[in-house]
Amino acid sequence: MMVRSNKNNQNTDSSDRQHLQPKRPSLDKIGSTLKRIWQYMAEDKILFYFAIGFVLISSALSLLGPYLLGVAVDLLVSGVNQSALLTIVYTLVFIFISHSIVLWFQNYWMITVSQNTVFTMRNHLFSHLQKLSLVFFQTRSSGELMSRLTNDMENISRTLNSSVIQLATGFLTLIGTVGVMLWLSPLLTLFTLLIVPLLIWGMNWITNRTGRYFKEQQKNLGDMNGYIEETLSGHQMVKLFSQEERVINEFNEKNLRVRHSGYWAQVYSGFIPKVMNSLNNLSFTIIVGVGGVFALNGMISIGVIVTFSAYARQFTRPLNDLANQFNVILSAVAGAERVFDIIDEPEEEKDDTSAKSIPSIKGEVEFRSVSFSYQSDVATLKNINFHVNKGETIALVGPTGAGKTTIISLLSKFYEVERGQIFIDNHDITEITQSSLRRQIGVVLQDSFLFNTTVTENIRYGRLDASDEEIVRVAKEANAHSFITDLPNGYDTVLNADGGQISHGQRQLISIARAMLANPAMLILDEATSSIDTITEIKINDALKKLMHGRTSFIIAHRLNTVQRADKILVLEQGEIVEQGNHSQLLNKSGHYAALYHSQLGRTMN
Amino acid sequence: MKKILGYIITYKFSAFIALLLMFIELVVELVQPIVMATIIDEGIVNGDMRTIITWGSVLLALTIVAFIAGISSSFFAANVSQGIGHDVRRDLFEHIQFLSTQKIQKFSTSSLSTRMTNDVTQIQGFIFMAMRIMLRAPLFVVGGVVMAFTVNVNLALILLVAVPILFIIMFWIMIQGVKLFQRVQKKLDSLNSIFRENLLGIRLIKSYNRSEHENQRFNASNMSLMDDNKQALRLMEITMPVVMLGMNIAMVLIIWFGSIEISVGGAQTGEIVAIINYATRIMGSFGVFSFLIMNYSRGKASASRISEVLASPVEEAKNSESKVMSNQSEIQFDQVNYRYPGSRVNALSDLSFRVKVGDTIGIMGETGSGKSTLLKLIPRLYPVTSGRILVDGVPIDTLDSQALRKEMAMVPQESQLFSGTVFENIAWGNNNASLQEIIQAATDANLHPYIMSLPNQYETIIGQRGVNFSGGQKQRINLARAFVRNPSILLLDDSTSALDAKTEASVLNSIKSKSCTTFIVSEKISSVIEADKILLLDHGKLIDQGSHDYLLKTNTVYKEIFKSQQQQGSEL
Repeated sequence: MMVRSNKNNQNTDSSDRQHLQPKRPSLDKIGSTLKRIWQYMAEDKILFYFAIGFVLISSALSLLGPYLLGVAVDLLVSGVNQSALLTIVYTLVFIFISHSIVLWFQNYWMITVSQNTVFTMRNHLFSHLQKLSLVFFQTRSSGELMSRLTNDMENISRTLNSSVIQLATGFLTLIGTVGVMLWLSPLLTLFTLLIVPLLIWGMNWITNRTGRYFKEQQKNLGDMNGYIEETLSGHQMVKLFSQEERVINEFNEKNLRVRHSGYWAQVYSGFIPKVMNSLNNLSFTIIVGVGGVFALNGMISIGVIVTFSAYARQFTRPLNDLANQFNVILSAVAGAERVFDIIDEPEEEKDDTSAKSIPSIKGEVEFRSVSFSYQSDVATLKNINFHVNKGETIALVGPTGAGKTTIISLLSKFYEVERGQIFIDNHDITEITQSSLRRQIGVVLQDSFLFNTTVTENIRYGRLDASDEEIVRVAKEANAHSFITDLPNGYDTVLNADGGQISHGQRQLISIARAMLANPAMLILDEATSSIDTITEIKINDALKKLMHGRTSFIIAHRLNTVQRADKILVLEQGEIVEQGNHSQLLNKSGHYAALYHSQLGRTMN
Repeated sequence: MKKILGYIITYKFSAFIALLLMFIELVVELVQPIVMATIIDEGIVNGDMRTIITWGSVLLALTIVAFIAGISSSFFAANVSQGIGHDVRRDLFEHIQFLSTQKIQKFSTSSLSTRMTNDVTQIQGFIFMAMRIMLRAPLFVVGGVVMAFTVNVNLALILLVAVPILFIIMFWIMIQGVKLFQRVQKKLDSLNSIFRENLLGIRLIKSYNRSEHENQRFNASNMSLMDDNKQALRLMEITMPVVMLGMNIAMVLIIWFGSIEISVGGAQTGEIVAIINYATRIMGSFGVFSFLIMNYSRGKASASRISEVLASPVEEAKNSESKVMSNQSEIQFDQVNYRYPGSRVNALSDLSFRVKVGDTIGIMGETGSGKSTLLKLIPRLYPVTSGRILVDGVPIDTLDSQALRKEMAMVPQESQLFSGTVFENIAWGNNNASLQEIIQAATDANLHPYIMSLPNQYETIIGQRGVNFSGGQKQRINLARAFVRNPSILLLDDSTSALDAKTEASVLNSIKSKSCTTFIVSEKISSVIEADKILLLDHGKLIDQGSHDYLLKTNTVYKEIFKSQQQQGSEL
């Protein structure tokens, strides 16, 4: 069993990997990712340029300070000239104060820019998500999506805050420092710069290794996070089947893998600051040692050594910062890539350009030779034909997997029809905009979904401008009022998404109230009453009957008693309509429906 | 934080070595300016080339020592941080498995999963840094001041004044920072929960055309996160300008008073240079502070969120007298009350009934009458508020919950699938099941022919949350999972609702042929008509019990339900 499950885990791993790491990030890719991030930043261009302008000033000031310190030391060596020294001291104080002020402003503006950038990216990502088709959500694991949406965005946010300024300052200081150093003593500069090739070689060696392990770590983390999501959402099953041991073991395997790849990623990336630090020390040694020899020969003054030793720090610090930030930047870029992957995901089939929004529909529906498949090799619906008059009730009946839900999904334009056409009020639905269509369709789904907010707000979701009175009214109509008032805070009770406090049927009642509030032209009830007890169902059916009056309604139900009153019943089997007609017509046919009906009736009458 | 730091003990050897190596580096860096002073004062000023070369070589040797120490510390520090991260995740995961259902719902699964992922990563990063720089920065500041004193006492006094003031400022900022970052974290949580809702409820959102509404909701939450984030970060960014100003002014003062000292012969140039060098380096260490503070405050917030989970009591203390259940399974409810935490009314009140071995019990009642809750009390997913549930005369709260549940199988209202194969999903009910047993269970659940029609049959991979299976198929996999467990108590929580009538009939038939005690929660009389006893619930109270025939004769409510269902069946 264990061996077997291992093998299968690997299978799922490899399919996850394809989701997580679609392509290996190349230098080109990093470039284009950065460019895209810049496009978001460009909204605050002016502020950004201001910040960069101040970076320029602060870099210049950071060069002046050590230089003047060196001059001051030389003054000390050459014998004290109080008035000259005083001038330098005043100048230094002025420089240092301005430096701090400029520094604060540049950071303040940069925080604004970076946080605005992240804000816009998040909003963009979220609104794009709203435009993706259902298929997208059905084929991705929610754990992995969550990780992209949260961890990756957070990563980008943190990196933008610190790294951009550091990179800019670093670059400018680097150039400035080397320039002044050359001016002071070209020879000593040459010696100091000896560490640069060492630095480049060392960094290269390290990043060759970190890149690999970071990628592996990311993959293992994604795998582990998916597992956490899954076991947490299924925790009741874990408990009931006493599988704690098993999930703990499986988790630990994944946990160990994360640890292993994480270890090496961290070891190698941990080299970076140390290498930088040592090069720092080395350059200090060179400046003091070689500089000492030069000073002895009168080629430079002691003040130059002081200036150089301060500069060497300034010169390696930006590199050090960069190195410290290197992993962060790399992983943020990788995160940004994943975020952009989602943003690049094609939107739900957009409405045809010719599509018009229709203000109100009457509700005449026709399916003409409609075929559809989720996977190209298996047809889910085959050649579906039927016609519904305005205000009629249509029941879809058939075994699970026969395609009932798919038909209503096509009607709501969740999926694009593959072959054939669907007409509403004689308009091909490809010519109707999604939003104007869905505005007029109310749904109650099998898995009722509630938001983590109050009962009132959950119902109000059906029509956002509804008053509290209207909400109470529909709740009463949907027979939800009495149980709602029994809740700890009545209508103001906050429901949690896991739905611990209320029963499945009660959730369903809230969903029904929500649909009632929406007051749609067409109604879709997808197993809406499957979990509601008979007594309540009778009351609800009465309410629904009122609601359905004059509205075209599609009902999916297993229990035939709810479909008998339908004007038309479509019996589906394996994606095909095998029978259609009303209850008595179908009974007379003595076909599939009649058999189904008698088996249920028989059990009730037994 | 304390609790998390306790995890270091396992890695104390690595931690010790890492700190030791860090210390070696620190000493080298503290010695450097003194060597520099010596080179200037004894070498350059005295014109002694040999001193310069000797001390220059010493500097080089020290640099190499520091390099080796620094590189090696990475191995040990990574071992500590990854080790602790691993251990914390392991303990968290294990702990969560044993938390009560109510607790998990209270935390909410999304919050638990961020705690296990983000928060642990945060801590890991923090520990790695702590091993390598966190202690180093303050130690360097202190060490730097001390070393400056050995060079020149009068000038070092300037540092002694400046450094503590800056320390206090940093400390104040840190305290504020921790608070602000905790607030940011909370905002981030609520933002993430909107994300999550949108992932799970996307179908509803699309159906109701509510993208714009969701966008606005998200926008508002995002905006408030951004504002708090800005505030926190701006506070942190005060540190560096302030520290630089303080240390730079101190350096100017050193030069000014240094010049006076030199003129009276109290100091040498090299000494001044060395002290300025210390000041520069101390400033550098302070620079790391704001970075450290940010990491510390984030780490602390994460640590307390993790500790909160670890500190919440597990479902039950393993009972010392826990017995393995006999598999007779006679069940008795004795004045059982149950109230959901935070609710004002009992979900179940004063329930008393007795179930004989092998009986089938139907549970009927209106939505919200407590049927599912009743069922969840039996495997102790929820602990009773008062009263007792006895299995074979033993109160279930004296039994080890694993032992208790071993004898049971439950099929929940909402089907649950795990990623893996069909085989694995069914074998979830019984890890030792053979393929034969799995096939038998699938056959009983009326699922076998369907599975055989799949390209990979029992090895078909189920995507997360079972996207490639219909509601009825999911339900049947869940049924098969329960059957393969071969339980002595079978709990069906309206588990055939998504099945068509034909399939349901055949599944109920195979259940009938099993010898286990069975509880069937249902809304359809047809599902429970053959039960030995039907419990009729109303608002959490047991209003009647008895066989179908008995209830039909004596209970008007039951008669009404039956009539309505019968009527619907024969209306036309």
